Amino acid sequence: MKRPERIAAAAFSVAIAAALALFVAYVQGSGPQAEGVLLALALGGVGVGLLVWATRLMPHIRDETQPRKKTTPATEADRESAVETVEAGVDEIKRRRFLSRLLVGAAGALGLAALIPIRSLGRSPGDSLFRTKWTSGARLVTSDGTPVTSSTLEIGSFITVFPEGHEGSSDSQAVLIRVAPDQLQLPPERGAGAPDGLVAYSKICTHAGCPLGLYLAATHELRCPCHQSTFDVLDSARPVYGPAPRPLPQLPIEIDGAGGLRATGDFTDPVGPSFWEEA
Amino acid sequence: MIVRRLVDGVDERLDGTSFIKRNLRKVFPDHWSFMLGELALYSFALLLLTGTFLSLFFVASPAETVYRGPYAPLQGREVSLAYDSVLRISFEVRAGLVMRQTHHWSALVFVAAMTAHLVRVFFTGAFRKPRELSWIIGVTLLVLGIGAGFTGYSLPDDLLSGTGLRIIYSAVLSIPVIGTWLAYLFFGGEFPSAELIPRLFVMHILLIPALIVGALSAHLALVWHQTHTQFRPQGTPEESVTGTPVWPKFALKSVGLAFMTFAVLTGLGGLVQINPIWLYGPFLPYSAPSPAQPDFYAGWLEGLLRLWPNWEFHAFGHTIGELFLPAVVVPGIIFTALALWPFIEARVTRDTAMHHDAQRPREVPVRAGVGAAGIAFFVLLMLAGSNDVLAKYLQVEVDTLNGVLKVLLFVVPVLVFAITWWICRDLRARDAAPIARPARVEFRRNAAGGFDESHDGAGPGAGPGEPVAARPADREDP
Amino acid sequence: MGRARTEARVLSRVLRVGLALAVLGQIAWSFRPAPSNAQADLEAEGRALYEANCSTCHALDATGTVNGPSLQGVGPASVDFMLRTGRMPLANPNDQPQRGEPKFTPDQIDALIAYVASIAPGGEPIPTVDASAGDLALGAEVFLNNCAGCHGAGASGDSVGGGQIAPSLYPADATEIGEAVRVGPGVMPRFGPETIDQQELDSLAAYLLWLRDNGDEGGLQLGRVGAVAEGLVAVVVGLGILVLVLRLTGAKR
Repeated sequence: MKRPERIAAAAFSVAIAAALALFVAYVQGSGPQAEGVLLALALGGVGVGLLVWATRLMPHIRDETQPRKKTTPATEADRESAVETVEAGVDEIKRRRFLSRLLVGAAGALGLAALIPIRSLGRSPGDSLFRTKWTSGARLVTSDGTPVTSSTLEIGSFITVFPEGHEGSSDSQAVLIRVAPDQLQLPPERGAGAPDGLVAYSKICTHAGCPLGLYLAATHELRCPCHQSTFDVLDSARPVYGPAPRPLPQLPIEIDGAGGLRATGDFTDPVGPSFWEEA
Repeated sequence: MIVRRLVDGVDERLDGTSFIKRNLRKVFPDHWSFMLGELALYSFALLLLTGTFLSLFFVASPAETVYRGPYAPLQGREVSLAYDSVLRISFEVRAGLVMRQTHHWSALVFVAAMTAHLVRVFFTGAFRKPRELSWIIGVTLLVLGIGAGFTGYSLPDDLLSGTGLRIIYSAVLSIPVIGTWLAYLFFGGEFPSAELIPRLFVMHILLIPALIVGALSAHLALVWHQTHTQFRPQGTPEESVTGTPVWPKFALKSVGLAFMTFAVLTGLGGLVQINPIWLYGPFLPYSAPSPAQPDFYAGWLEGLLRLWPNWEFHAFGHTIGELFLPAVVVPGIIFTALALWPFIEARVTRDTAMHHDAQRPREVPVRAGVGAAGIAFFVLLMLAGSNDVLAKYLQVEVDTLNGVLKVLLFVVPVLVFAITWWICRDLRARDAAPIARPARVEFRRNAAGGFDESHDGAGPGAGPGEPVAARPADREDP
Repeated sequence: MGRARTEARVLSRVLRVGLALAVLGQIAWSFRPAPSNAQADLEAEGRALYEANCSTCHALDATGTVNGPSLQGVGPASVDFMLRTGRMPLANPNDQPQRGEPKFTPDQIDALIAYVASIAPGGEPIPTVDASAGDLALGAEVFLNNCAGCHGAGASGDSVGGGQIAPSLYPADATEIGEAVRVGPGVMPRFGPETIDQQELDSLAAYLLWLRDNGDEGGLQLGRVGAVAEGLVAVVVGLGILVLVLRLTGAKR
C-alpha cells in the first residue's frame, strides 16, 4: 500500500472505531467531553480520509480549462425587443386609465389593510414610559418584599429597592444608597427627598438601559457594567464618565413615623434611555 | 445499472443535452482561499442539524417554574420555562450539552467564515461586474447570520442574554418619531415583555433560517451559473475557467472538508465551554453581570456604544437619544456602504467592463488600503467592546484604555491605509519590472542564411519558435 | 514645615504614645488576670511589627498620613483581611492593594490585629463564616444579585473603572469572603447584616468555594470571562484549524 493509502485507511478505521465507541459512551452517559471527542474523531476520520484520498490518491486529472458562459444578451436588437415587450404591456394596462388607477388604489388599500395585524403586536406606548409604579407613600421593599427601614443600610452600603407589591418590576427598580449626610450635594429642592444621607436613584442606565450593577463606595460612583457610564451619587447622579447623556432620575423618599422608608412621589424624570416623546 | 437508468431518466426530462455530464465536469478553481465560503456553508449545515435537535427540547415560554434539575446552585430557584429547558438540555438530555455547545460554536465559526470569505472576495476584486448581485446577497447573508446569532443568544433567557436584549430595545427606542411605537410593536410592550421569547424563537428557527436558506441558494446558484473568478493560469484566455472537475476529485475533497468542519466544531463543542448559562443565572430585570459582552460578531457594535460620546439632541420638545447614532445610523451606513461597494468602486474607477479574473491585492493598492483600514477599524472597535476584560488582563486602567482607543480609532486606519497602499504599489512595481530574470532571446541561423528569433514565454504574437521576418540590418552580406 | 520639626513632632508623638502604652501596659500587668498577660505580650509583639511595617503610612497612632488612610474605626475584620490576603503592607503607597503572599504569619497577624485594636478601637469584628452551614442555591442567588456586577458572573474578576479591578474570588477562603462583605475593602461597598444576613453570608461562601472546582460541565473554561474569550477561540482555533486544512489541501497559487 502506498503511504497516503495507509493514512486514509487508518483515518477511516479511526472513524469506525470512534463511531462505535460513541455508542458505548452514549449508553454509559459519559458526558459531553467524551461525546465531543468521539464525534470529532469519527467525523474527522472520515474528513481526513476523504481529503487524503482526493488530494493524494486520485489520479491527477489535469486541470481543465472550460469556456465561461456568455452572460450578455446577444444583440442590441434583442434587448430592444425585450424593452418593447415590457413597455407595450404597460401601455396596454395604462390604456384603461380608470381601471388602472382603481387597481393602484386597491393595491394601496390592501397594503394598508395588511398593516393592521402588525398593530396587534404591541400595545400603545401612551404615557407608560413617563411613569413607573412608584407613587407617593409607596413603601420601599427589597426584591423579596422585605420592607427597608432607615437602619437597613450602613454608610457605604447600597441595596436594590422596589415599590411594595411590585417587587422585581423592571421600570421601577431603584438603587438606595447611604452616604454620610454632609457629603451629599443635592440641589435644595432635591435634598428633602434624601433624608439622613439615604438617596435613591433609578437603577436603569440612561444610556442603554442596563441595570447599574457596580457601586464604587469609595468614590461614590454608580457604574454600568455594559458600557461603563459612571454617575456621581453625591451630585444628583450626574454622568461623569462614559456615554450616558443624562443623570439618573432621583426617587424622592422620606422616613415615616415607624422608621420605614416611603417614596414621596415618582422619579424626577422618565427612567432609562431617551426617547423621541421626551422633552 | 442504477446509474445508467438515473442518467437516462434525468437526461430525458432535463433539456436532453447531457445535463449531468456537463455539470459533473464543471470545473472549480482550486486555490485554498476560494474555499472559505464552503466553511461557512458547512458550519451552517451543522447549525441546522444541531439546531433541529435543540428545538425538540427547547420550550419558548417565559412562564415561571421552579428549577428541580440536578444543578445544585439553582435548585428551588424560580426560573422561566425557557431557561429551565436549556438547563435540561445541558444537564439532563443525553448528549444535549455537546449539541448545544456545538451549535453555539458553529454559529461563531459560521459568521467568522463568512467574514473571512467576504474579505477574500473584497481583496481579490471578485465582486466586480458581473458578480455584484452575489456580493449583495453575501452581505445580506452576513447580516442575517448576525441576526440569527443574536436571536439565538437571547433565547436561553439567562442574565446575559436579557442584558443584550435590553440594549437592542433601547436602541430601537432611540429612533426619532417612530422609535417608541416600533419598540412596543417589536418587543410587545415595555421591556421586558412576556411576548418576547416566543417571538425570538419564531425568528430564530423559522424566519431567519428560511431567509438564509433562500439567500444561500441564490448565492450558490449564481456561483454555479456565473462560475468562479480565479487567478488565471498563464496562457489561458480570460473567458475561460480552469480547475478541477466536480466529479470525483473536487466533490470528494469538498465532502472531506465538510467532515473536517463538523469535526472541529463538535470537538470544540465537547471540549471547550461556551455560554455557561448556569453560571449567569436566570434573567432578572434588575441585575446585570460583568463582563457583559455580546458574541464576537457584535463586538464592534458594542465597542461603538462604549466609545461614542454622550451626545443627545433636544429640539421642539423632542429628544433624539444618544444611542441613535452609534446603534442605528452608523451600523446602517457601514452595511449600506459595504453592500454597495461594487457600484461605488465602479463609479470611482469608471470601470464598466466584465471581469472574471481574481486580482491580487497589490494590483489595486487603493482598494487593498481601504480594506486593510476597514479591518483595522473593526478590530479596534472589537477591542473597545472588550475593554474591561482587556484592562483586567493588561493591568491597565479601563478609562485610560478607552481614551487611547478613541485616538487610535482615527489614527490607525489612516496609517494602515497608507502603509498598505505603499506596500502594494511597491510590490506591483516590482511585478511590472522583474529584475531577477531578463527575457531570453535565442537566435538561430535559418536556411535562408538569416536569423530566427526565439523568445521563451508567450509574448503576444511571438510564440516560441515562430519565425520573425529578418530585418535587413540583420542580414549578413555574403 | 521644616523637616527637622516634623521629625521632632513624630518623635515626640512616638515618645508620648510609647509612654502612654507603657503606662497602660503597667496597669494591665498589675490588674488583669493571667490570660491578659498573653494579651499584653500579643499587643507588644503587634506594636513592634506595626512600627516596623505600618507606621510609615498609617502613622504611629494609626490616624493616617498623606500616604495611607487612618485606621481609626476600621476594625479587626479589615486589618485581618488586608494582612492575610497579602494586600498590606504595600511596597509603594500608590499601588492598588492586590492579593499576594501574606507577609506575616497567622500569629503575627493576630498580634497586629490586637495592637491596632488597642490604638484604634471599634469597627467590624472578624466575622465567623461557616460555609458548611450554607445553602448553594441561596449563595448563588446572593452572589448574582450583589457581587456578579463587579466580580463577574463566574467570580473571576473584572475591571470596574477608575483603575480598579474587582479581583477574582477563587483564592479567597470563607473568612476572607465574610470580611470583604462586611468591610467593603477599597472601592467595594459594604454589606451589613441587614442586606446580607449570616445565613446568606454562609451560603455565599459555600457557593464561591463550590464554584472553584465546579460548574465546568461544558469542558475547558476560558477564564469565565464570557464572549470575549469565546470569540477569540472561535476565530483563532476554530477558523484557524479549518484554514490550515484548506492550506494543506488546496492549491497555493
